[in-house]
Amino acid sequence: MIRFEHVAKRYPGGIQALSDVNFSLEKGELAFLTGHSGAGKSTLLRLIALLERPSRGQVVFDGRNVGKLARRHIPYLRRRVGVIFQDYRLLNDKRVFDNVALPLVIAGLSYSEIKRRVRAALDKVGLLEKERMYPPMLSGGEQQRVGIARAIIGKPPLILADEPTGNLDPDMSAELMNYFLQLNELGVTMLIASHDLDLIRQLGRRVLVLKAGEMVDDLPARSALTGDDTHV
Amino acid sequence: MSSARRGGQEQLPGAAGLRAWARRHAFSFLSSLGSLTRQPIASSMTVIVLAVALTLPTALYVTLDNVERISQNWERLDTISAFLSEDVGESEAMRLASRLSNWSEIASVDPISPKTGLAELSGQLDLGDLGDRIEDNPLPWVLEIYPTSGADMAVLVHRVERESEIEMTVVDLQWLERLDAILEVINQLIVLLALLFAIGVAFITANTIRMDIQNRREEIEVMALVGATAGFVRRPFLYSGLWYGLLGGALAWLLIRTGLIVLSAPIARLSGSYQTEFQLHAPGPEVTAILILGSGLFGIIGSWLVVSQHLRRINPG
Repeated sequence: MIRFEHVAKRYPGGIQALSDVNFSLEKGELAFLTGHSGAGKSTLLRLIALLERPSRGQVVFDGRNVGKLARRHIPYLRRRVGVIFQDYRLLNDKRVFDNVALPLVIAGLSYSEIKRRVRAALDKVGLLEKERMYPPMLSGGEQQRVGIARAIIGKPPLILADEPTGNLDPDMSAELMNYFLQLNELGVTMLIASHDLDLIRQLGRRVLVLKAGEMVDDLPARSALTGDDTHV
Repeated sequence: MSSARRGGQEQLPGAAGLRAWARRHAFSFLSSLGSLTRQPIASSMTVIVLAVALTLPTALYVTLDNVERISQNWERLDTISAFLSEDVGESEAMRLASRLSNWSEIASVDPISPKTGLAELSGQLDLGDLGDRIEDNPLPWVLEIYPTSGADMAVLVHRVERESEIEMTVVDLQWLERLDAILEVINQLIVLLALLFAIGVAFITANTIRMDIQNRREEIEVMALVGATAGFVRRPFLYSGLWYGLLGGALAWLLIRTGLIVLSAPIARLSGSYQTEFQLHAPGPEVTAILILGSGLFGIIGSWLVVSQHLRRINPG
């Protein structure tokens, strides 16, 4: 589903965020992306959602070289990628309902359809009773779940998460990861950037390790050995 | 993921696509009104600035329009004063008057005797009974000639002057020609000013929209992030530009109308003192439409400039 071929990203000012990154993610796979802060995790995710263009190499998504995508096609690519941010990126002057509804409003769905699907998504993340609140009235974990509801509402085949547990306590982090696993089992491809190594180790999924802009390790899932651990 | 499905997501076919398009437009429409009302003070300040800017050239146009109407009246009042030679007596003067009044270019001829002329003059100069004190009236007979409305004044004057009894003629035509020339200059000036202020409207709107974009930068980024097209992001701002322009134009029209009402009483008093009845003319429907719709159009142009420029920074090219 995603393939990086010799991808490099250099920002203006000479900062080399990524250099020669190669990996691929199959459809339906779930992988963690880890590494120290500044290792290039966020840049890698931003390249997939085309928030950045690669300086060199190819980023292939669904068989298309997204680096070469014309500007006017970018929105349609982004609709097929749900992105979850560490800082949530919610609109604080819009209600929870409207935040989650945004991708569907953009797609031009009817209000009744939007209402039905937003309710369903909020129900899934346990925030149905808070739909009329504004994000600043919610806790960090709740805001993160609003962000997740917004990411999944368009039913994208790929979800990218950038440090989704960064602001959550351990219990909530575990709960969130469980939820991601459920989504993955429904067939959603997921790439989760995180430096929560304990949690990643527990889950025993594929782990990509970035170090100073290079992919230094690609640990396969331990499904054969400890596969049962993932379904605690 | 077949390419057919991918294509299907980009554009829904037929009626469903049209409905989606209409819903997106309705959203932009409402969201632009929302952003206008969320900042009532900032919005109304922009509208007032636009209105004042538009009022200036429009007021000038209305003034010119009214002056032109007055000067048309003046042209009809234009007469030729023919001074006869001193040795021409009453009977000759009367004969000449009746002969001239038969000309097709002349509507009527009004002979003024030296005595009447002197009485009028002393009345105007407030000299009392001047006629009694002057033994020998120095004034000649004067024929006040009223041309028909279509007559060519220059040709007529030339013909009248060929009459032997006539010493000289006085036609104050020159100032009317000058007035026409001045009005023409002002007319051109208004066109230039209107153009200048239209550009002003575009840039005032652009500046307001630019601040609006900066305030909503995060919202724009999030919208782009979840797959909003450039058009979808741009549209509410274009609507805002349209609202600013239309409201500014409408307020300018209101200011002009108010100004005319305020001025109507003094104007009536002024024209009353000249024994004429003159009423101020408000801008007609065409001018009103050009004012309001044109302002709206330049509002859109202004916001287009600034929105396109800002959107390019959000989506990597």
